[in-house]
Amino acid sequence: MQTCEPRETDRTDGSHGRARVVVLGAGPAGMAAALRLAEAGVRALVLDQARAPGGQIYRQLDQPQLDAAVTGKDYQRGRSLVDDFMSAAKRGEIDYRPGTRVWWIEALDDAQNDAHRLGVRGHDGISRELTAGRLILATGAMERGWPFPGWQLPGVMQAGAAQILMKQGALVTDTPPVLAGNGPLLYLLAWQYLNAGCPPRLILDTTPNLGLARTLRHPLRAWRARGYLAKGARMLAALRRAGVPIVRGVQSLAAEGNPRLTEVRYRLRGERDEHRLKTDWLLTHMGVVPEPQLPRGLGIEHRWHETQQAFVPDRRDDLSVCPGVWLAGDGGGIGGALNAEREGRLAALALLAELAASAPGGTLDRPALVRESAALRRRRRRDLSGRRLLEALFTPPLDWVERQPDETLICRCEAVSRAQLKVALAAGPAGPNQLKAFTRCGMGPCQGRLCGTHVSRLMASEQGRDMDEVGYYRIRPPLTSITLGELAQAPSDHLTTQSQ
Amino acid sequence: MLKRLESATPTPEVTITIDGVPYQVPSTLSVAAAVLLHQGVAGYRRHGAGGHRAPLCMMGVCHDCLITIDDAPNRQGCLVTVEQGMRVCRQLDDRGCEREGRDDADL
Repeated sequence: MQTCEPRETDRTDGSHGRARVVVLGAGPAGMAAALRLAEAGVRALVLDQARAPGGQIYRQLDQPQLDAAVTGKDYQRGRSLVDDFMSAAKRGEIDYRPGTRVWWIEALDDAQNDAHRLGVRGHDGISRELTAGRLILATGAMERGWPFPGWQLPGVMQAGAAQILMKQGALVTDTPPVLAGNGPLLYLLAWQYLNAGCPPRLILDTTPNLGLARTLRHPLRAWRARGYLAKGARMLAALRRAGVPIVRGVQSLAAEGNPRLTEVRYRLRGERDEHRLKTDWLLTHMGVVPEPQLPRGLGIEHRWHETQQAFVPDRRDDLSVCPGVWLAGDGGGIGGALNAEREGRLAALALLAELAASAPGGTLDRPALVRESAALRRRRRRDLSGRRLLEALFTPPLDWVERQPDETLICRCEAVSRAQLKVALAAGPAGPNQLKAFTRCGMGPCQGRLCGTHVSRLMASEQGRDMDEVGYYRIRPPLTSITLGELAQAPSDHLTTQSQ
Repeated sequence: MLKRLESATPTPEVTITIDGVPYQVPSTLSVAAAVLLHQGVAGYRRHGAGGHRAPLCMMGVCHDCLITIDDAPNRQGCLVTVEQGMRVCRQLDDRGCEREGRDDADL
C-alpha cells in the first residue's frame, strides 16, 4: 500500500486545531460513517461543503420543498438518515460543520495521532489549519462533463443541476426542456418533471446499441438488478403514457443561440441530415463520476475503470486507501446512495477495528465489529453486482469526445477548443500536464474537473496508449477555489474542535 | 427563466438585491438559484473569452456561477445560501453593480 506522499512536518507552534477522527462530506456515506462512529462513542468532526447534511442525493431533506408524489420515494428514503444525523449532532455525538470546504490536504510523516494536515475554509470565510488522526473521505460524485458544440451557452444545464433546483426550491424551467444524454438520472429527471406537471418536450437518448447486448450476457446480474430495471420500466411507461417522445440512436448533438440557447441540432445513427428543434432549455446527462479533487490531492493512486469510463481511486477490501484513510461512497467508484451508506458504515467499522487493536482492553469489541463488517460486505457485493449491469447498459458513447468537431470547447473555463487540442496533441506532449501548459486546458477555476478525463482520452487515442499510462492532471492545492485573502489568513489561525 | 411550482412547501422568504433591485426569494435557495429564478440564464455572467455563461452544474464543480456577493467578487453562487439583506451583483462589465461601484468611487 502506498503512503499518500508523506511529508516532513514543519509545524512550529501548537496553534492549530486537532481532531482524532475527521469525516469529509455529509452525504449518505459520510452521515452513515459518522453515525456508526458515534454509536461506538467516537465523536467525529464532519466537514461538509453544504449548508445541511444530505449530500447531493438527499439535499434539502431537512426542509423538503416537494412531496414524494413529485420526487419519488428514493429521495424521501434519506429522511431518516438525515434526521438521525442531525439528532446525533444536536446531542453532541457528532461535531458537524456545515459550509466548510477543505482546500488542501496532506499526509504527514508523523506519529499515528496527528497523521494528516488540512486547510479548512469555514462558514465565516476564514481559513484554518487542522491536524487530524484518521480520515474518512466521503466526497461523493459529480456529473461528468459532456462536451458538444454550444454546451457553454446559457440555457444548457446538467440534469443534476435541474434536480438540485427542484430539491432546493421547487424550481423548474418555465418552458418544457429538451433532455439529452444517457443514464438513469436523465429518465429520473424526466419523470420528476412529469410528476410536477411539466413534461419534458423530448428526450434525446445517446445510449450506444451495445448496452442491451451486454445485459443479456449476464442473466444473474439482470436478476440482481431487477429492482433497478423495474423502476426504470415504470418511469419509461409513465413517460410514454404522457406522450413524451423518446428519440433513440442520437449520434451527435449541438446547441445554438446568442446570447443564450435557442435551438438544438442532433443527428441520428445511420442518417445524414440533422434535425433541428427550437428550445430554451437543454438538460444534459452523461453519467456521474467520482469527484477527484480530495483523493487526488491526498496522492491516492487511481486506476481507469472501463465500464464506468472514469478514473477510480484504488481501494483495499476494507475501503482503506492509505494508512489511516478510508474512502467510502461514490467518491470511490459509482455505486449509488444505498451502497454509499453501507460503505460509510464499513469504513467506520474498519476505523473502529483499528482503534480497538491499538487500545486493547477498551470498550470496543473487535470480533463483533468484524462480524458486522462481514455481513455488510456480503450485501454490498450482491447489490453492486446488479449495479454492474446498469453500468453496462449505460456506458457512455466511448468515442464521443474524439468525434467532436473543431469548434467544441473541451475546456469551458479557458475556452480551449477541440481544434486547439488537436494542434497541441500533434506536437507530441509527454502527458496531460504538458498539454495543460501548452494550451491552458484544465488551468481554469474548475481545475480540470470537467475536461480532465477527456484530455486523457484524446491523448490516449492519439498516441495509442492506454488510459493508466497517460494518467491525469497532477492535482495540487488549492483543491477548491479560494481567494488570496483567505490564503493569507491560512497559517495563522486554527480550527477549534472539541473532538477527542 | 425558472418558475417555482405551486405545489411547493410554503417556505419563509428573505429579501436580497440583485444589481440593486430587491427581490423576495425562498430562504432555501442558493444565490445562483435566486438569480436564475428572477433574471434567467441570459446575462448571468460574462466570460473572459466573450459570450455569456450561466451555471452548468449547481454543485460547486463548473464555476460558471461566479458572482459578486456583498462586494466579494468571484464567489461560487451555487454554494452560498441567500441571507436577508444580501447584495448580489452579476459580473457583467457593461451594467449592474460594477457601474454602481464606479459611481461610488466618483463621490
